[in-house]
Amino acid sequence: MIFLEINQQFGEGTNLLALFIGIIAIAWIVLVVHSYKTYGWKKTIMYFLPIIIATLFIESAGVASERYYYPGYIIYLSVVNGGVPLIILLAWSVNLFLFMNMGRHVIARLYHKRNLMQILLISATAGLFGVCLDLLEDPIAHYNNWWIWKESLTGIRFYEVPILNFIGWFVLIFFMSVATLLIERSRFTENRKVLLAITSISITGTIVFVIHGALVRLFEYTGFS
Amino acid sequence: MQNTVVQYILDNILLFLPLGITGIIVTLILFFTGKKQEEPLPENLSTDYTTMLKRKVNLYFVLYLFIWITIIIIGALSQFVPTILGAILASIPLIVMLLLKYKTTRAKVS
Repeated sequence: MIFLEINQQFGEGTNLLALFIGIIAIAWIVLVVHSYKTYGWKKTIMYFLPIIIATLFIESAGVASERYYYPGYIIYLSVVNGGVPLIILLAWSVNLFLFMNMGRHVIARLYHKRNLMQILLISATAGLFGVCLDLLEDPIAHYNNWWIWKESLTGIRFYEVPILNFIGWFVLIFFMSVATLLIERSRFTENRKVLLAITSISITGTIVFVIHGALVRLFEYTGFS
Repeated sequence: MQNTVVQYILDNILLFLPLGITGIIVTLILFFTGKKQEEPLPENLSTDYTTMLKRKVNLYFVLYLFIWITIIIIGALSQFVPTILGAILASIPLIVMLLLKYKTTRAKVS
């Protein structure tokens, strides 16, 4: 079911792809090392692995549905007939860990109670910060062919990027942050938290699927997509 | 309906459904059979600060700034004009973090 593909023509048809990969690699290494030193390896797995697995399925389905594709990368992983570059999956883990912690720092200054509301506020901030960066990154990525959105897609676009993509970013980062923070703050043992973080992808994934699906329908109904 | 990830998953529901149901059942078993420990300690956010150029800086702020600057450079190198608008929108998290830090520091001083 899982396939690994190696592309011999690195960077073919793309512009400045090596630079983009370099940024992601640096950010990923810095965050993983920081997480390992601060929280230990079990929590580092809890923070980074679930989002990698979740986005492997989501991105692979996105490529398989012929909505977009990723040309010119070296290592591709595929679970449902859609090749996703490994670096893109690592980029998603950077997104979640970075924005969740930025959200934590912002909300800690505004709302001090450690309760569900704080988790929701942190997650919403993380999602919004993620969308802010994506508004810069995605149009440049499309322009330089790091990933290509199909021309046939209809609906509102922001410099050739469908608006539903940004909504998808918010929904995914928001719910993955909620799940991660709920598990992190639970009273289970460290081992169980790691297991729960991985298996709960099914629940978080179902919620993301239902919410995003409802938003797609709403956009179609209102004529925005 | 145009091709979306949601539509693709619906078309291949026989593949995703067993995976989802198995995951949900295992999660519920893990949740209800797990031993509870004492309340975890509140997170210590001071560990997220690092010293750079003799100044204490937030690691996440610096990393976001690094990504923001390098993507703007890539946009400039590829002569993609809308980068300017994207750069302004993507600077919001940096501004929010700076403003909140300034506000908190001022509140502590007064």
